[in-house]
Amino acid sequence: MNIDLSEEAAEYGRQALRALEAAGGDRLVQLAEQEPGRREAIVAPVLGELGAWELDPRGDPGELEAAAALCRSAGYWAVAYPLAERLSRPADLDVDGLVVVDQRPAAAVAGLDLRWAAVTLSGRRSRAVARAPGGPPRAHAFVTGLDLEPTDSDGGGDVALGLVLPCWTLLGMLDRAIDLSRAHVLVREQFGQPLAAFQGVQFQLTDAEVERCGLEMLATYALWSIQAGRDDALDDALALRLAAVEAADTVFRVAHQLHGAIGFCDETPLSWVSRYSQPLRRLPLGLSATREALTCRLGRRGLAGLFSETP
Amino acid sequence: MGDAAAALRAELRGLVAEHVPQDFLGAFTDDPADLETAQRFCRILAERGLLCLAWPEEFGGRGASVWEQTVVREEMWAHHEPRGAQYMGVNWVGPAIMRHGTAEQKAAHLPPIARGEVIWCQGFSEPDAGSDLASLRTAARPDGDEWRVFGQKIWTSYALMARWCFLLARTSTGEKKQQGLTVFLVPMSAPGIEVRPIRSMLGPHHLNEVFFDGLRVTGADVLGAVDQGWAVVQEVLAFERVGIARYARCERLLQEAPTVLGQAWDTLPAELRGRWARMLVRCRRARLLAYRVVSLQAQGRVSPGDSAAYRIAVTRLDQDSGEVLMEIAAYSPGSGRLAGRFRAEVEDHWRYSQASTVASGSLEMQRILLARSMLRGPARAS
Repeated sequence: MNIDLSEEAAEYGRQALRALEAAGGDRLVQLAEQEPGRREAIVAPVLGELGAWELDPRGDPGELEAAAALCRSAGYWAVAYPLAERLSRPADLDVDGLVVVDQRPAAAVAGLDLRWAAVTLSGRRSRAVARAPGGPPRAHAFVTGLDLEPTDSDGGGDVALGLVLPCWTLLGMLDRAIDLSRAHVLVREQFGQPLAAFQGVQFQLTDAEVERCGLEMLATYALWSIQAGRDDALDDALALRLAAVEAADTVFRVAHQLHGAIGFCDETPLSWVSRYSQPLRRLPLGLSATREALTCRLGRRGLAGLFSETP
Repeated sequence: MGDAAAALRAELRGLVAEHVPQDFLGAFTDDPADLETAQRFCRILAERGLLCLAWPEEFGGRGASVWEQTVVREEMWAHHEPRGAQYMGVNWVGPAIMRHGTAEQKAAHLPPIARGEVIWCQGFSEPDAGSDLASLRTAARPDGDEWRVFGQKIWTSYALMARWCFLLARTSTGEKKQQGLTVFLVPMSAPGIEVRPIRSMLGPHHLNEVFFDGLRVTGADVLGAVDQGWAVVQEVLAFERVGIARYARCERLLQEAPTVLGQAWDTLPAELRGRWARMLVRCRRARLLAYRVVSLQAQGRVSPGDSAAYRIAVTRLDQDSGEVLMEIAAYSPGSGRLAGRFRAEVEDHWRYSQASTVASGSLEMQRILLARSMLRGPARAS
């Protein structure tokens, strides 16, 4: 595997970061929440200009990396739009996107005029129709229940990408949470010195960073596993998801702690990034359910590595 | 990692299987046969050019790729380091002598290290200078054309069996405490050195005190320049940026657990199996972080923060996996050689892992390095 994304994909991600900032940056999620009916109009055009809908992540390894880089950049600005889900669309279904679901199908796809497919971990696919959300987005972060109409059981190969790309979005959110925390502790002074001068603060920041950079490695690995068409790509995707949910818990806990009360205020981006990380952390599986699913799949054979039967 | 690395891994596993007893738990036990095993294994590696794989060809190495070096680190640590203490001579004493040694020092020291014949110890830590190494007090006082060394080192691994010591001592006092330090290469058999072993939970030979009472050293024993030892030591520490591949042993034991337990595996609480799966993910995470450091190092752009992040992840993994494995091992069948060996390996792993956040740069030092890197560097988005 490659340790890093290709330079082309990384550059595409950087360009996307700047384009999304120019299109509103932190304001994008705020506008979407204020005017949920215009969510598509607020976000989709800039993604279209970036060529998001022409990407073929299931067909081209380079475009898979570009898709991951784009999701990460969208996560950085907490863009409230199911980009990863749209980029995960199955190659053989005439739909706009794919969501992975469990026994209680739901996804952050409320209020969009898009056609969805849903797939379970075991590969059962359905047409999915988003119900009307209950209450304002402030309360549900665009998560809504899905009505499913079963179609086939051919989605085994669809699942891994459907789990991995949202983890790249979450990774972008963790990038941002750490950048925000770093900037805050460098300027906020208490007892006559910046918070960054306190070792208790520094150590919390390092705990968060270890989680973030470990997640980055696992995200790259899971992407490579899909690119290589490995049989255990789903194991790798679940392993990534487990690490992502755990990392998010640590990083956001640290970010809020270091920001103090200001971090809860809507005038700070952390408040938005933190709230809009919730759907990614809870759906389709939360921490316990992800670990259970991974453990069940690993059985006695373990995870591919230095001492597994399949390296 | 490539075909060469895969072939090397297979070769090393074959050699371990053939020459290292299955119940081997490292060279440093109460049984002298274990040390003999390690010394014999080193000679076998040396004969095949595998002991100093990373060294340049002019010094008897193969100029191996960073990935081949990584394979050696992984396979040796996974199998309880059958090179014994030789890794120290091979990994950083030899390279430091190559960089800073005189022709005479290279001729005297490099061939025995390359042949796996000599054990070195590291005279760094002192009772009042642990993480704050530059505060050390062991002093080499001028005595005519020579120096006489007085002072005490502590936590010195393998000192009782070492033939040479890589000694850091103060030769003068500068404006900063990092100034005025000098590296000496001293024979442990010289008069004026006394070693006292410290009994510990890590097992014999891991911890010792070394007392210097008038040890005579000359200019021929100095590595590099007098008073410039701190720079040498910084380089030495940089050689060890990736350090021990602790994740490899964790992964081997975790991966073996279901096989060893057999039917008993199904009696494990579901929550414990979940922790086992989580530890396997953590092994992969630590391994990939190590590969990232190796890759960045090969490109010449690794920062202390990168290696610190890896070290924090891997040392915590070492301890966390030790806890999970101890709990799993309690379910292993009572009799049978396989289960007995597994329990012994797990107990050894747990015990030794307690030192992983203390040895070779404490967890706190790694967090300080990472914090410094995060706070001084540019923001990610820039």
